[in-house]
Parts: sequence; C-alpha cells; structure tokens
Amino acid sequence: MILAAENLTHIYQRGTVFEKKALDGITMSVPKGAFAGVIGHTGSGKSTLIQHFNALLEPTSGKVWLDGEDLFAADKKKRKRLREKVGLVFQYPEHQLFETTVQKDIAFGPQNMGLSSDEVSRRVAEALEWVGLPKEAAQLSPFELSGGQKRRAAIAGVLAMKPEVLILDEPTAGLDPRGKNEILGQIKKMHESAGNTVILVSHGMDDVARLADIIFVMNNGRIEFSGSPAEVFREADKLAKIGLAVPQVYLLLRELIKRGADLPQNIFTAEAAAQAIKKLYEH
Amino acid sequence: MFKAEQIYFEYTQTAEEDSAPANYVALNGVDAEIQKGEFVAVVGRNGSGKSTFAKHLNALLSPTSGTLWVNGAATSKEENIWQVRKSTGMVFQNPDNQIIASVVEEDVAFGPENLGVEPGEIRRRVDGSLAAVRMADFAKAAPHILSGGQKQRVAIAGVLAMRPDCIVFDEATAMLDPLGRSEVLETVAALNGEGITIILITHFMEEVVIANRVFVMNEGVIEMDGSPREIFGQSKKLRELGLDVPHMTALAHELADLGVPVSRGVLTVGEMLFELTAALKL
Repeated sequence: MILAAENLTHIYQRGTVFEKKALDGITMSVPKGAFAGVIGHTGSGKSTLIQHFNALLEPTSGKVWLDGEDLFAADKKKRKRLREKVGLVFQYPEHQLFETTVQKDIAFGPQNMGLSSDEVSRRVAEALEWVGLPKEAAQLSPFELSGGQKRRAAIAGVLAMKPEVLILDEPTAGLDPRGKNEILGQIKKMHESAGNTVILVSHGMDDVARLADIIFVMNNGRIEFSGSPAEVFREADKLAKIGLAVPQVYLLLRELIKRGADLPQNIFTAEAAAQAIKKLYEH
Repeated sequence: MFKAEQIYFEYTQTAEEDSAPANYVALNGVDAEIQKGEFVAVVGRNGSGKSTFAKHLNALLSPTSGTLWVNGAATSKEENIWQVRKSTGMVFQNPDNQIIASVVEEDVAFGPENLGVEPGEIRRRVDGSLAAVRMADFAKAAPHILSGGQKQRVAIAGVLAMRPDCIVFDEATAMLDPLGRSEVLETVAALNGEGITIILITHFMEEVVIANRVFVMNEGVIEMDGSPREIFGQSKKLRELGLDVPHMTALAHELADLGVPVSRGVLTVGEMLFELTAALKL
C-alpha cells in the first residue's frame, strides 16, 4: 500500500454561505506499483482528492497515508520529504512553464530537492527521453514549442523528480490523437520499467479501461465503487446514472454476448476484441 | 454560405530582445466551399491550422492573402465585418471564459442587446434560445453553479440569441466529461436539424461521425474532404497525418484484415453490431 485515504473530508469555504463539501468521507487505498484510474463527472471531487495526496490541500477531517506515514501528522520537515514522493501533473500543465529554457524548467524540481548538478543534468536528459522530446529541445524556450511539446516538457518536469507516485489530472486534454497516444504510451512504458505507482484522472473511459488495473469511480465527493476495469464497467447502468460512459468495445461485446455470442466480456481494446471475434468466426 | 479561395495566413511574432522575428504560416492556401445547412467537422493535428481557419469564418482574423466570402461578402473588407460577425457565431473551448453576466438569462441577452434589438424581441430570443439548448429551467441561475456541459449550452444560447446562420464550435467539448459532451453534441445536431450551418472542430473522432462532411487539415491546408465514411475508410492515411479513426472503425479494419467479413466503413457500435450479427450468424 503506497497511498491511502481514511475517512477524508474536505469542505471549501467552511462557515460561509458558499460552504461546499467537496469530499465526503473518502476511504480508498492504492497498492504500490498499481496503475490506478480515477473517473467521475466534472465536480465529483477528483481534483480536490488528488490535491490532498501531496498536501496542497489539508483535509477538513480524516487522514492521508503515504508509504505508511500519516501525511498530515508529520512535522514540516518530514512532510516535505513525504511530498517529494508524490509528483502531481495538473490539467494544462504547460500553463505553468516559466523558465527561459526547457532544460531549466525541467531542472527546477530536482534542484529544489537538493540534488547534485550532475544528478540534475542526468535526470533532465532522462526525463526528456521519457516524454519523447529530442535532446535539442532542452535549449529552446518553452514558448518555442508546439502545444503537444509544451505538455511533454511540463510532464518531464514532474518525472525528473522521480516520484514514487505519479498523479496525472487529464494529461491529454486538448491533444490530437497521436499526441494523446504517445503521451499515454510513454507513461505506461515508464510505469512498466520503473515500477512506480500511477494515478490517472481522466474522462477518457477507453484509455482508463485499457491502462488501469484498478479504477475508482467518484460521485458527489464519494467513492461510488471501485475495482478492476471489468468489475467497474460491468456496472454500465450505474455509470450512466452518474454521467459516465462505458468503453465502446465493452458495449459492443456486451450486446454480442446478449445475442448469444460466446465471447469474453473482459476486453477493452480493438486488437484484443478482433482476435476474440475472429476465433469465434472461424469456429 | 462560405467560399474560401487560396487563403493564406501568417502570424507575425514581435521580435524579443535578441531573437530574430519569426513568422509562422498557419494557413497555406485553403480552398473550400461550404453550403448553407451543412455540418462540417474539422480535424487535424495540433498546429494544423484548424482554429486559425475557424477564426477566419467570422472575421476575427483576416487572410494575409486570398479571399474568404461569407454569404457573398468578403471578410477582408472593413464594411462587411459587422454583417459577417452577425451571421457566424463562435463557441470556444473553455466554458469558464465565455460567460460574463452573473445571471444566465442576462448572459444570453448580452448579444442581442448589443445588436440594438428591442426589449420584447430580446425576451423572446432569450427564452427561445434557452429552450433550444434545454436550459430554460436555469434562466435565473448563477452561471457558477452550472456544470461544464451546462455552461457550454448557455454559451451556445448566447450565440443563438443573435440569430446566426452558422455556429463554429472550436473544440467546445474538449474540457467536458462524457455527459457534458453528449449534451453539447445533441444540441449541435438539433441546431443543424433546424437549418443552422455547423462547423465542429474536434480531436474526438467519435464526434465526427455525426457530421455530414469532414475536412482533414494538415500543415495549413485542407488535405482531405469527404463524408465521415469516405474519410475513415482511409485509416492508413489518417494515421500518417497523426489522426485516428473511431474505435468501431479501428475494430472493423482489424476484423477485415483477419478475414472476418465486415465492412471497413463501420462507424458506430450499432453498425458494427449489425455487421457482426450477420457475420457470426447470431
């Protein structure tokens, strides 16, 4: 267990007329090395939740456990060390690029961690490779990059801190299909080689179904239910009621099975579905 | 409705300190003709010129060279701009950047008020526009309590109240959750049904399926132009252009390659179900 929330509640603007309970007693745990997906409609509390995971927000009540330690009971020094384990990539992270070169922007995080300059350079080079930016991009101004490249540079800045837990809030919003597939592919590849824990917040049900091994479904500040993609998408009707969709491949297989086709339901990609349907066709 | 003839557009970057001024050609000779009542989806990679093209359609940008006519009026002529902006409305990506008033109905009334429409008519337009986007129940609500999809529908109502012939949606669903996206798309399809010309810019290939025509933009030109079925039939070319096909079309290509008899032109789950029910003799 790398990360857990225990009865976590967050109330915005408490005691005013604008008081809003954004998180309502969240209890969840993410196993070490998992690729977790968090889904939920806009305003369901996803962003509020993940901001507690690196102590950007403090809970109104409840606890966050990080690598076995109580994040908010820790003293300042310890909390800083704990926070370094968690890398958070916000929505539209490219809006936060600020340095004069990509190199300096990516180096900002590792430098703040007090790493040697050799180590910082090594990490910058590594992070550029992870996100698929060419070496030459390091010397450019972030503002000379295209939209998709800026996004990569911003993600590289978080990866360079080598967080044990990498949290991404809609990392591909606004990107074209190739940019989206490349970034998700690289995150998956890094997860597989480095064995870090990933939490992906996304409206793209097909992506979450394909990538995650555990999915948390949020609604009205609560975890409505959670489980493997197969367990979660089995609840298609419940998902529809709270404004979420089911991956199209899943939907197709469900209808085919209803009509008597002997096919597995637990498939989320076109490639895998095609193989299963071909087998049935040739049978 | 629109006729573009060899439009070029160049962004000029102001020189900073020691860097040389860099110009960037966003449109590189666009030719297109769009009839009234069409529903055109525009897809392409980031930086392919989609938004620049869209901003020409209501004269927010004027071509560096070439001509764009809107209902016969050239957008490059100063005296036509007012008429062009009245006939073409725009809805942008971020639902939080487009609403200015603190009450929904006041926001919708902002456009017609500026056009000098008389109060009784404004009332009728506001009510009619909110009803058309199914937001009449929220007329007195404060915009900040609305969901993203609801805010985008209010933005659409604000455009509708100006009685445009055409609405351009510039990635208007990019920031919405699945429910918000389907709310907006249903609204878009209904407006097209009433004769309003629709230009829908999107990265979601599933949204393109409901259009009757697709432009694929690449490096500042319209590289492909056809029906969704014609365009998505060319999955290899689309992938080369950094795009994708809808999930069901991808599956159809995989199946056809594996020898399962399904049409490569499949676009939706319903069509795939129909094909497979026959192929698998269900």
